[in-house]
Amino acid sequence: MIPLSSGSSSQTATLAEEVEMCKLFAARVSLGNSPRGPSEPGRECLGSLPCRLIQRLCSRVDARTIKLVSMTDAPTQIFTAKKVHTMDPNEPFATAVAVQGDRIVGVGHRDDFLHFPQAEVDERFGEKVLLPGFVEAHSHVMSGALWEFPYVGFYERTDPKGQVWSGCQDVDSVLQRLTQCDQEMVDPDQTLVAWGLDPIFLQGERLVAKHLDQVSTKRPIFVFHASGHLATVNSEMMRQSGIDQHTPTPGVAKDDSGTPNGELQEPAAMSLARDGLATIGIAMMSSEAKWNYALEARNCGVTTAADLGTTRLAMEGQLEAWRQTTDHPEYPIRVVVAFGHFDSDGTPANIRDMAAKAAHLREHEESEKLRFGIVKLVLDGSIQGFTARISHPHYLDPPPGHPGNGLWLIPPEQMPDIVSAYHQAGLTVHCHCNGDEAAQVFIDAVDAALQTHPREDHRHTVQHCQLTTEQQYKKMSQLGMNANIFANHIFYWGDQHATITVGRQRAEKMDGCATAEREGVKFSIHSDAPITPMGQLHTVWCAVNRLTASGDILGPDERIGIHKALQACTIDAAHQLLMDNEIGSLENGKLADFTVLDNDPYEVEPEELKNIQVWGTVVGGVPFQAGSE
Amino acid sequence: MEVTVIGGYLGAGKTTLVNHLLSQATEVIAVLINDFGEINIDDKLVDSVDENTITLTNGCICCSLADGYSKALDDVAKRNPRPTRLVIEASGVADPAAVAAYGHAPGMALNAVAVVADGVNLIEQLADPLVGQTVRSQLAAADLILLNKQDLVSETETLRAELEKFNGDALMVECIHSQIDLDLLFGSEVNKAPKAFGVTGEYESRSHTSMQPIPRDALVELIELLPTQVQRAKGIVRVAEDPHIPMVFQLVGRRWELRALADRKNAPEGNQLVVIGPKGTVPPDWDRTLNAED
Repeated sequence: MIPLSSGSSSQTATLAEEVEMCKLFAARVSLGNSPRGPSEPGRECLGSLPCRLIQRLCSRVDARTIKLVSMTDAPTQIFTAKKVHTMDPNEPFATAVAVQGDRIVGVGHRDDFLHFPQAEVDERFGEKVLLPGFVEAHSHVMSGALWEFPYVGFYERTDPKGQVWSGCQDVDSVLQRLTQCDQEMVDPDQTLVAWGLDPIFLQGERLVAKHLDQVSTKRPIFVFHASGHLATVNSEMMRQSGIDQHTPTPGVAKDDSGTPNGELQEPAAMSLARDGLATIGIAMMSSEAKWNYALEARNCGVTTAADLGTTRLAMEGQLEAWRQTTDHPEYPIRVVVAFGHFDSDGTPANIRDMAAKAAHLREHEESEKLRFGIVKLVLDGSIQGFTARISHPHYLDPPPGHPGNGLWLIPPEQMPDIVSAYHQAGLTVHCHCNGDEAAQVFIDAVDAALQTHPREDHRHTVQHCQLTTEQQYKKMSQLGMNANIFANHIFYWGDQHATITVGRQRAEKMDGCATAEREGVKFSIHSDAPITPMGQLHTVWCAVNRLTASGDILGPDERIGIHKALQACTIDAAHQLLMDNEIGSLENGKLADFTVLDNDPYEVEPEELKNIQVWGTVVGGVPFQAGSE
Repeated sequence: MEVTVIGGYLGAGKTTLVNHLLSQATEVIAVLINDFGEINIDDKLVDSVDENTITLTNGCICCSLADGYSKALDDVAKRNPRPTRLVIEASGVADPAAVAAYGHAPGMALNAVAVVADGVNLIEQLADPLVGQTVRSQLAAADLILLNKQDLVSETETLRAELEKFNGDALMVECIHSQIDLDLLFGSEVNKAPKAFGVTGEYESRSHTSMQPIPRDALVELIELLPTQVQRAKGIVRVAEDPHIPMVFQLVGRRWELRALADRKNAPEGNQLVVIGPKGTVPPDWDRTLNAED
């Protein structure tokens, strides 16, 4: 951790002392503000004033001097590269990075660092391109849990071990894969759980129990859909779970004769299946899930990922489980584990209690690869599920029986109190808002919290921002809010958004990165893995090209440039995770976290961005090659 | 185990209702709730409290839904003594119909969806662009609507007319502080011999017991002949068309159902029915169509 946050002397320090202190810490603190901490007077002084001083100092003090201040006698690793993009506007390019321990001590060229203590040149990246480690600011550890089960989704997907699972593009290929898995399973009674099925994309008859019975009539089978709202099971699973024509539970789909066809819709029906959801739930808590999550991240060049509200930190043992896993020297990513508001019962006393717990985690429980400080709220549903709260004229072509608009997951009236409690505790609130109506409720709640408790640099973030409007971005900019935009949606569901959910006009403005940029809102872009596969280069490709799965350019005016897109995956993502003082750019004093690529994203054709091979990463000075065990 | 779902928007009085029914219970009730911190039970009734469960001296329990429905339902099923009745309090924005889906899990049967309406704010809530649809969907899913906060409301008829627009079938009960007759909410205690005639508060109840299976048509006729004010009935019957299966009969508002009883071993012999209506509305010969067949 940054020693700044533990020093208490500065409250009484003279200006001269502060200048000295700043010189000492200059090499270890980024030029951005240090946001970690509530805005109580002592913190304010530590957080913002010295940083302003650092900025002034750094414009005058010779860079070499600063480097020397931080030098120790530890060995220096000099990583050379074909090119280094630093994301530091003062020194955007380099060909070598010098590292001592887990920190960067020099960014420049090989010969600049040869005189550093015990300098050793590491040329393994000599023909590669280095960037600051990618930051995936919205994903879920559940992504790792699902890889404990076979994948049967439509799009090709790469597992954490680097194995490519081809897409199952029709019912037969789903069945073929399941048959193979069935044959490989040793215990004949064990349930076969699979995931990723998305019937929207499959031609022909819908996959139901009779198809799965071709795989096995003896072993229960549970196929979890990509949406997370449905599961399809075989007859044996129904038999063992007592699901039959008399089962009255809504969501147990039945054929014309009243016999359940194996499709279970929504949690109440899915939970009837003996051990389907429960098996996935148990996997989610496991250490394997945490490892898989990290390996998948490493494979796509991610060095820091936010687990945005899968882990239930209030639950016993979960903090320790994360600590144990991330403390392992081979664990290849830093994880920001968000504190989920779902554990709250919504009462004011309870919310204050939750805020205190979350603040405690940030102040006392962080370690090198485990970070806190973010609170996750979920305000509405999804657009493709027709459950996001969107403004008039709402949905274009919703399914029969749709009530007209989406769902609130938190009563909008409660939002000001909830946001205010976390805001006052010095935490940063990240709120899931797919629809613009949801975004407005959150923005208003932040506005109200700031009126009563002004606080600089809170970085409250609208998550997903799929229909966030220009006016909302203007307001977010005024309030100092951040955005994390679900750019991947344009590729995966853009065609459906244009024709079914919201219509072309609205779809062209969806996930509007260019609007956010124009209005001066700092933003990141994300995969929401496992909803879409993690892969920052793919997400960058989406934001830059806005190509849908059918090859349509949806909303060309919302395309952004490559540099902005890469900033969104590095320094600006780090900013909203409160880590830009440590990661997000390659600068002296920051952690030595890099993404290592075979080609330069600034030089390939924009359409080729997603095809750039990722060699792997460096985290805290330690290389981790993609695809390795 | 019979399942009753309590829905209603934020501030309508759901938790007050839970407090009320826990303190008035005459059977072992398990309540699953979201707002664990809001439960306010007389200390004299509380036996023990742990992180997720409050145990009352009358045997009732109150469990937090913090770990999800599946976990809470499992925990309740494992309790000894096993509760005879389960009440699930849905969150203020939940669709009670979706929650009611859990009432069909194996070993359970759905009694009714009761939705508490905030008499003071209802009209405003229904017109609200943000929450109007949520409130309307909740009320539309109700078998029984508690028109709450009657002490603060003068325009009950306007409210009723408004509710009729999207749920004309539900039984509407006016109340203050969510104080509702539990017989009205639960129908009656299945498996217990009913009293022939009883009066509680504003309501009276009459019962019917007989041994011969009842033709389905006679039941239908019985419902059709009930005065319109009588909107609650419940019991166990043998239907002539399939006399070996004890069936639960229940009427809430204008909806009624017949379903096979889950716990057949402990089913009473013959037919036991109770109807409940406002005082003076249940005719003494309300069950004449049944007696004609006897």
